[in-house]
Amino acid sequence: MPLAPVKKIELLRPLLLAALLAFTSQAFAGDEPPANFKNDVLPVFKKNCIGCHNNDKKRGGVTLEGFNSLEDVKKNIKLWERVADKLRTGEMPPPEKPRPTTAQLEVVNRWLDAQVFEFSCKGEKNPGRVTLRRLNRLEYNNTVRDLLGVTFLPAEEFPADDVGYGFDHIGDVLTLPPILLEKYLDAAEDIVSALFKNRFNLTRYLKVPAPDKVTIKDYPEILGTLATKAYRRPATPAEVKKLSAMAESVVKGGEPVVEGLKAGIQAVLVSPHFLFHVEIDPDTSSTKPHPINQFELASRLSYFLWSSLPDETLFNLAKENKLRQTGVIEAEVARLLKDARAKSFTRNFTEQWLQLRNLKTVQPDRARFPSFNDQLRDDMATESVMYFSHITKENRSILEFVDSNYTFANNRLARHYGIPNVSSSDFIKVEFKDNKRGGVITQAGVLTITSNPTRTSPVKRGKWILENILGTPPPPPPPGVDELKEDEKALTGTLRQRMEQHRANPNCATCHQRMDAMGFGLENFNPVGAWREMDGQHPIDAAGELAGSGKFASPRELRQLLVGKSQLFARCFTEKMLIYATGRGMERADQCIIDAIVENIRKDNFKMQALLVEVVKSDTFQMRKANRGGKGP
Amino acid sequence: MSKQLSRRTLLRGLGVSLALPWLDAMSGTTIMGAPAHTPAPRRLAYFYVPNGIHMQDFTPSETGANYKMPYLLESTLAPFKKNLLVLSGLTCDKARANGDGPGDHARALSSFLTGKQARKTHGADLRIGVSADQVVAQKVGGATRFSSLELGIDKGMNAGNCDSGYSCAYSNNLSWRSESTPMAKENDPRQVFERLFASPGETSAAGIRRQKIRKSILDTVNSEAKGLREQLGATDRRKLDEYLNAVREIEIRLNRVENPLLEKARFSPPESARPSGIPQDFSAHMKLMCDMLALAFQADLSRVATFVLANEGSNRSFKNIGVSEGHHELSHHGNDKDKHEKIKKINQFYLQHFAYFLEKLSGIKEGNQSLLHQSMVVYGSGIGDGNRHNHDELPILVAGNGGGAILSGRHLRYTKETPLNNLHLSLIERMGANLPSFGDSTGRLENLSS
Repeated sequence: MPLAPVKKIELLRPLLLAALLAFTSQAFAGDEPPANFKNDVLPVFKKNCIGCHNNDKKRGGVTLEGFNSLEDVKKNIKLWERVADKLRTGEMPPPEKPRPTTAQLEVVNRWLDAQVFEFSCKGEKNPGRVTLRRLNRLEYNNTVRDLLGVTFLPAEEFPADDVGYGFDHIGDVLTLPPILLEKYLDAAEDIVSALFKNRFNLTRYLKVPAPDKVTIKDYPEILGTLATKAYRRPATPAEVKKLSAMAESVVKGGEPVVEGLKAGIQAVLVSPHFLFHVEIDPDTSSTKPHPINQFELASRLSYFLWSSLPDETLFNLAKENKLRQTGVIEAEVARLLKDARAKSFTRNFTEQWLQLRNLKTVQPDRARFPSFNDQLRDDMATESVMYFSHITKENRSILEFVDSNYTFANNRLARHYGIPNVSSSDFIKVEFKDNKRGGVITQAGVLTITSNPTRTSPVKRGKWILENILGTPPPPPPPGVDELKEDEKALTGTLRQRMEQHRANPNCATCHQRMDAMGFGLENFNPVGAWREMDGQHPIDAAGELAGSGKFASPRELRQLLVGKSQLFARCFTEKMLIYATGRGMERADQCIIDAIVENIRKDNFKMQALLVEVVKSDTFQMRKANRGGKGP
Repeated sequence: MSKQLSRRTLLRGLGVSLALPWLDAMSGTTIMGAPAHTPAPRRLAYFYVPNGIHMQDFTPSETGANYKMPYLLESTLAPFKKNLLVLSGLTCDKARANGDGPGDHARALSSFLTGKQARKTHGADLRIGVSADQVVAQKVGGATRFSSLELGIDKGMNAGNCDSGYSCAYSNNLSWRSESTPMAKENDPRQVFERLFASPGETSAAGIRRQKIRKSILDTVNSEAKGLREQLGATDRRKLDEYLNAVREIEIRLNRVENPLLEKARFSPPESARPSGIPQDFSAHMKLMCDMLALAFQADLSRVATFVLANEGSNRSFKNIGVSEGHHELSHHGNDKDKHEKIKKINQFYLQHFAYFLEKLSGIKEGNQSLLHQSMVVYGSGIGDGNRHNHDELPILVAGNGGGAILSGRHLRYTKETPLNNLHLSLIERMGANLPSFGDSTGRLENLSS
């Protein structure tokens, strides 16, 4: 049976859930007194686990008997990683058995982290490692646009990029099946053929005003310049020689000189140095973290904020080795954000963080919700993207994602929201006068993607908030819940009443109370995000209680309670931003960096640009750790 | 050479559309010492539907040839009863949690053709196993231009967490080339058509020039990639190896084109068969994809294919048949009668499209048999009942006779927990690859041929 990777962040969730109840920023700092195996930990396992996992029963092939000291435990790390996994996801103990208290679990988890896995924020920095990552579709389109002035979108014809950790540019998840290489070859051909029909672009991007005058002697100059830009680092003489020789061989095979050049350009566009974000570890035999080089850093920055290659200014800073000089990267962040290319960041991040890409496939029942149509579908996404863009460009506090008194709307969306006096189909900033809405949670896009076609889903909405606002995803349902027999008598009443009857099941109650409560707080918004006072014949009851935070009676009060959890939101948002910035999932070691960033931006009222600067200055972004085990096979 | 054409003659005439499938005109011709009567090739396809099926109206009560078709089969596949095997009792054990917790949808799809347990991860270290279609592709794919085809309807637009801690790669991909590389699906019928047929005059002078240049490009990037590989650590190397494998596969394909003796003269579909893009209408979309697959089989451009009718866990609604609720939402029916009825409608709707494909195949002659006779088309889901998320008693159909290797027209019931992979192993064998075992198979599936 394969083990789930235990290093990953989801393992921290129950810890974070505990933190939801009583937040302590020290959760990972390890400042608490160290737990003692014999006194604090072993009794918990004896009481809750060893009844089944002993040498006789060996339930699931696992025995936890015979571990009498920390040293014993460390001898079988693999087993204990699995134990940690099961405890943290809540799969063990099984639902019908007694469970350790939250406090006990926290002690055990801390013991596992600090003493078994020896995880600490104090030791050597661990910036993690991004797996060799190819350009995703957006990056490909943007890169060829900025490289050669391509105006069409070649990657539209590529297969979809799979998603991991909520984003579609994760190195571990992006794969390169043969069909994609085939599409790269076709795209390269199309790009070159369009380029040679456009004298302006030929001159601008290749410095080739007259392709019929090109000679073989010009190949190294033209291809070398192109490769340097395309590979986002100076092309080596050997590379240029190879490309030119290939172009030449095409001519020797009987083709005109210009066809050789075209072939050379195509080779650049299909080269692994172009298609992958290559980052080289200077010493693959060492796992010591090292700063990535200036060109790699420039690329990380431009692909973070533009989803495209560095422009000349940024590239030159790298070439002159200036990117780590005081104030330079801060200035570059500000400069890149002002550029039109930053649209890729605002749209791409917003759509994925808020999961608005799912808007393209939701199918609200038009008979019940006639106001919903494809225009409104697009408007919903636009609203959230503009909102994000505003907070970024104006350097507002990220807490405005949780609550504010404004949004962006055009006439259609304003009608949907009941906001008067918006007459144009262009979006403008509008202020809410009635406190019904504010922040991303009450934006129509989010409310729509978390609904079913014919009804709202408080569970989905609550889960969405836990995952995307609080960063405390609920543990998965315990095994076996799907097989629960429905009650003999049909459930009746409003959705809330029916769900409350459902929640009577103790296996489901704990987590669902948390999810459903927040979801019910949003019941005033129908499945397409319009305000309602009634659900069928029943008046809406949006009251509830947020565990540990207090009661709310309306969506507004719910939002205010969530704003009170600024620390949790800032962690969650920072984590998503780091995933987006690096193209990898966050691991346990990254929690140290996330905590440090949150601490730093808190002093600056959680300003958006402060966060972005912290992200690019972080070790996670600036450094890299070579592969354990050195070179591969 | 009176009525029968040689390959050479055909090739000389290329550029002109040939209205006949190759085998019709070719059977009986000796080329390059090949046996005079090469048996017509078999084709293998897998159709996948998400969220299980309403089994009460799917599983026949009787076994053998004289079984009565239950409602879902009767209302959709009655004309193909004699071409059909209904297989009951098969299990995809690796779709079960086996200690990994929830995530039945992601596991159902990714284990369906692999019989391996997906490693539970949001992204790092994706790992499952090679799928049955890819095993076959690697064995017999060299005989056709495309070693396999991967078709789908959903693009995989999913954002966020696809299923309880599993990367979307698991809930979107049926076909796996290696244990970590899923085969991306094509979902635009126009692109499928162009990939299959539109490479213009590849054997014309201009086409050959183009292929030659492409080969030089591949040579160059191949050597660059090998150089780069030397500088990388283990994990990065695995990623680059995907690139190198892709280069190799395309090089093989180009070599085939360059050596026209290997490339069969192909039937070219009329221009009117070219789709203009992805139709708005879901039904039209599925039918066009079926058309493309039938064309690919007809032209013998590939012999192995997968077709994912919707990604696992799909919550699509079906307005046109009066179902406004989402499929996944409904599949957790809690034994509500009304929901059962709606689920049945959705099941029926998908099955109608399977019937549409079988109809297409049965209308295409190859030699003196139909293409359906030559094929083995599996239809099924990795979930039995959507409410229970069970992975035993799966709904599985096999249509076609595999060129005589399958005795169809029966309902076969296997003992509980018989691995679905036993079926895969048996079909892989019928496609010409002999494996001792495959995934969690415990043997070959009995009684498929007699």
